Amino acid sequence: MTLTARSTGPLLEIRGIKTHFFTQDGVVKAVDDVTFEIGHGQTLGVVGESGCGKSITSLSVMRLIERPGRIVAGEILLNGENLLEKSDADMRDIRGDQVSMIFQEPMTSLNPVFTCGDQIAEAVQQHTAVSRREAWDRGVEMLRVVGISDAKRRASEHPHQLSGGMRQRVMIAMALSTDPDLLIADEPTTALDVTIQAQILEVMRELREKNRMAIMLITHDLGVVAEMADEVVVMYAGKVVERSDVKTVFGSPHHPYTQGLLLSIPRLDERRERLQVIKGTVPSPLHLPEGCLFKRRCPHRMKVCDTPPPYQEVGPSHVSRCWLTPAGEAPDVGADATGPEAEQAAEALTVAAR
Amino acid sequence: MATYILRRTLQSIPILFGVALVSFAIIQLAPGSPIDRFRTPNIRPETLENLVRLYGLDKPVHEQFISWITAFVQFWNTESWGYSLVDGRSVRDTLVDRMPATLLLGGTALLVTIVIAIPIGILAAVRQYSWADKAITTFATIGYAIPSFLLGLYIAYLGTVVFRGLFPGFGMVSLPGTEGRGTPLDVAWHMVLPVTSLAIQQIAGWSRYVRAKMLEVLNQDYVRTAKAKGLSAAKVTYKHALRNALIPVITLFGLTLPGLLSGAVITETIFSWPGLGLLGVTAVTQRDYPVVLAFVMVGGFGVVMGNLLADILYGVVDPRIKY
Repeated sequence: MTLTARSTGPLLEIRGIKTHFFTQDGVVKAVDDVTFEIGHGQTLGVVGESGCGKSITSLSVMRLIERPGRIVAGEILLNGENLLEKSDADMRDIRGDQVSMIFQEPMTSLNPVFTCGDQIAEAVQQHTAVSRREAWDRGVEMLRVVGISDAKRRASEHPHQLSGGMRQRVMIAMALSTDPDLLIADEPTTALDVTIQAQILEVMRELREKNRMAIMLITHDLGVVAEMADEVVVMYAGKVVERSDVKTVFGSPHHPYTQGLLLSIPRLDERRERLQVIKGTVPSPLHLPEGCLFKRRCPHRMKVCDTPPPYQEVGPSHVSRCWLTPAGEAPDVGADATGPEAEQAAEALTVAAR
Repeated sequence: MATYILRRTLQSIPILFGVALVSFAIIQLAPGSPIDRFRTPNIRPETLENLVRLYGLDKPVHEQFISWITAFVQFWNTESWGYSLVDGRSVRDTLVDRMPATLLLGGTALLVTIVIAIPIGILAAVRQYSWADKAITTFATIGYAIPSFLLGLYIAYLGTVVFRGLFPGFGMVSLPGTEGRGTPLDVAWHMVLPVTSLAIQQIAGWSRYVRAKMLEVLNQDYVRTAKAKGLSAAKVTYKHALRNALIPVITLFGLTLPGLLSGAVITETIFSWPGLGLLGVTAVTQRDYPVVLAFVMVGGFGVVMGNLLADILYGVVDPRIKY
């Protein structure tokens, strides 16, 4: 229920944020120089394997990073205002009001000792000047909106009396009760079984249309992304490796990692003897390789990959962090170029983080 | 709920019967006899035999047990728990007389414990690894490790010698003839040292427990949800986290209850506090069978009731538990 006038720019702009964890074993660069934006009413899918920094990115937007983690650089602009410069009190007013979040685990994300209705009403009361009664009624109404039958009775029940799918609906009802501009959904369907997944996605889609709300959808499920997202950001080891609209990413992926991800999902329209897998595992965040972070698992590995690859435009609004040319061939600088030569080439190709 | 309480109460009968059986057997097996204290070099053997017959000690063990337990369950009669072999008073009346002193001491100590241990446990959890947490942990470790008889003596020494009699080291009221003897203030003054001694030990355990539960809860997903709603740190900690962290503390409460009923044996002895604990110790040394058995039974009753009360309280505060 924000009163801020909608600026003409994007709703959320993340510019070069770095979220690092200072552990006893060393610095873990969970999110390292991530840049992307989400327009009003747009849905952005953030994809990647476990540990690639998706969740940390979303928690950074909420400023819910806890020690030993810290956002060490970058800007997070919401309607043009930098969230990293907000006071704690201002940030609390934004959390749950302009930006809401739902989590992966519906079974444990609700407080077991309070009723569902109370937990929704609490969010409403926190951000709007309404009476307890009105807040409660709003909660019941929201439960109805997310498709819970017998909402009145359910509101006075405790979370343990509800199934996983219903609890996720309650979470959505709570997140949307304040009419946020942006909903961050961190793996909202991962813990649910397939039919329930579809229902939850349906609810989210409906409410997105109705409220003209933007969604940052974090998932490792490419099917969910294909169904929901307008744009896709693919993350690998704390960095964005590819970014484009959903059609391009699925139709002509550029980065070998994205290609690998797409090849590893089963399809009904093609006969494949075996599913392809991406060889190897995500590198330990404490021992990241030099140059390209994906090179050890990449089928196109070249000598030049020992130098950090450029973040280059490979098509209209399609960027990829890879040495391959837009056509997918070995670059002109010579696949065996190393050192300063390659660095210069990378600099020339890199699109500045805008 | 009512059926549950009824069922649990009925279930406690065989448990208490077992407690009675075992206690009776142990006392029978223990060396010594109640008539030992009449044994002088020039007592006539016939006199001793008469005493044995008088107390029924010549009867078979099971007969003794049955005659004791049938009388014991009629607790509404003054004579039901027998008469002390030492001073001849009704055991039941003696226990009833001693109960208030024990409840006063134990209850006050429990109150002090709750008032101090819960806040410092929360503080230690919220500021994990801070100097405050470290100080509380150090205190708790010492308080937990030190045996109560030693702690009691230190506290008595501190109050009476180091502070030159600022606090009295024994009894519940001042000596006869002192002005203001037996007033609430006088009793409170006498309570300072024994309550401190008891509370230190309990606070040590309780604060660690609260800290552990609080840390566990603060890492739960629903705490993150509460933060994501934009609630203040205080609301997240004291409303969402604390409510969940305090549920298991009920278990500790249930465990403390029997001590509250039957008295802190060691602390009461050190400070000569005229409660049930002191009575029990004295009775054991004098082989005062009826008193010892009654004392043990009250303790057993406390354990059973403590558990029942804890389970009922769980049903009240935790919506996930329904009976």
